Formats: sequence, structure tokens, C-alpha cells
Amino acid sequence: MAGELESCKPLSGLLSGLAQDAFYGHPGITEELLRSQLYPDVPIEEFRPFQAKMRGILKSIASADMDFNQLEAFLTAQTKKQGGITSDQAAVISKFWKSHKTKIRESLMNQSRWDSGLRGLSWRVDGKSQSRHSAEIHTPVAIMELEIGKSGQESEFLCLEFDEIKVNQVLKKLSEVEESISTLMQPV
Amino acid sequence: MLIDFQWKLGMAVSSDSCRSLKYPYVAVMLKVADHSGQVKNKSFEMTIPQFQNFYRQFKEIAAIIETV
Repeated sequence: MAGELESCKPLSGLLSGLAQDAFYGHPGITEELLRSQLYPDVPIEEFRPFQAKMRGILKSIASADMDFNQLEAFLTAQTKKQGGITSDQAAVISKFWKSHKTKIRESLMNQSRWDSGLRGLSWRVDGKSQSRHSAEIHTPVAIMELEIGKSGQESEFLCLEFDEIKVNQVLKKLSEVEESISTLMQPV
Repeated sequence: MLIDFQWKLGMAVSSDSCRSLKYPYVAVMLKVADHSGQVKNKSFEMTIPQFQNFYRQFKEIAAIIETV
């Protein structure tokens, strides 16, 4: 039975299933589902600790956002541990992380964002000729629609109007943000 | 109508699901008034690439509104 677990073919599938559950929040990926689909000949008592070990390894890698040097060192250490992984399994895990790292990281970033995110932005500029509120003629106005929403929730649409003065005021603030970003990103 | 625009540049360092997040983000707080005069606060976050797109579009708006 240990031979079954050491086989690398289903391991890639197992890592995908574990990622779906742990990072992408996909419902219904149970232990039994994974076992029956990927390791049907392995009894549940043997499968359970095995999948827990793989899940733990995957979570450690994702939590530390390991680069490839760290990954190699970590996996090598796992192969040397008592009850660790085989070098073939390490190779499968390494390949998996290299192809899924970006997507998993994005998912973790989204999980940590509790405020609304910006989902969409559209705008137009109107040349207003008359206004109900004032007698101004030919005042251009920018109309912007922001689509914002929290993870897993429906979008909210904000419709904002800006005259030229307001546009420039906001633009000035945005350039301050840009400056801050440049300062932050400078190598220490 | 936009009354106020406040911003914050933050860096998410760590969270319970990821110990090494290390991602910068721009948080925005808008104070908006509707036609009845009621004022509401609306906040949202942007990643850096999203912010840069937002900024670029605003510059486009400014360029156009000047010429209209």
C-alpha cells in the first residue's frame, strides 16, 4: 500500500485538489472524494495522514511564499525527515508550486482583503450645456462609474461627477500616491 | 458628487492564512454626496497595478476635459 502512495501520478491531482480546498475555497473537496478519485486502492486510515502531510507541506510553502531556492531547501529537508517525502514526490511538489504559485498567492491576497476591491472603472466626458442647479453653459463634466465589491459579494456601483477643478484636485492626490509608491518601492 | 478623496498606501505584511504576504495596496476613502445632499463614505482597495491603471485613466480624463 505504501507503494501506491509513493506513486507520483496521482500526487499532482492530490495537490490540485488540496489547493482548491485550502486556497481557492472550492466547496466539496472532501478527503473521501480525493481518496476515491486518486488513490482508490488505499484505505482511508492510510490516506488520511498522507494527505494531511501533503496539505501541511503545501500550506508551509504558500504561507512563506517560498522562492525557488527556499523551496528546494525546504523539500530537500522534507526528504531527509523520518516519515517525510520521497525525492520523486519532492519533484512533483516543486513542479506544482512553480506553476501555481502566482494563482495561489493572488488567492491568499484576496482572502486577506476585507474591504471592497475595485472591480471595474468606466468614464465619459460630457460637455454640459445647461444645468438644473446653475446657469453655467458649456461646463465639461467627467462622469465616472466605479464598480466595487467585497470578495464573494455582489458589486456596488458608484457614479461620480467631476468638473475640471475636481478632476485636477483628485489628480494631484493621485500623484501624491504615486510618489509614495515610488518611495516605498525604492531598494532599502 | 465627490466631496473628499482620502488615500492610504499600506503594506499587508502577514495574515493568518499567509505569513509572508508582503503586498502593497492603495486604500481609498471617498466622501460622496447624492442629489438629496446625503453624505456617505465609500472605501475600497486597489493593488498597485490597479492603482496605476486608475491614475492613467484619470490623466486621460484630465487631458480630455481640458480640451472640451
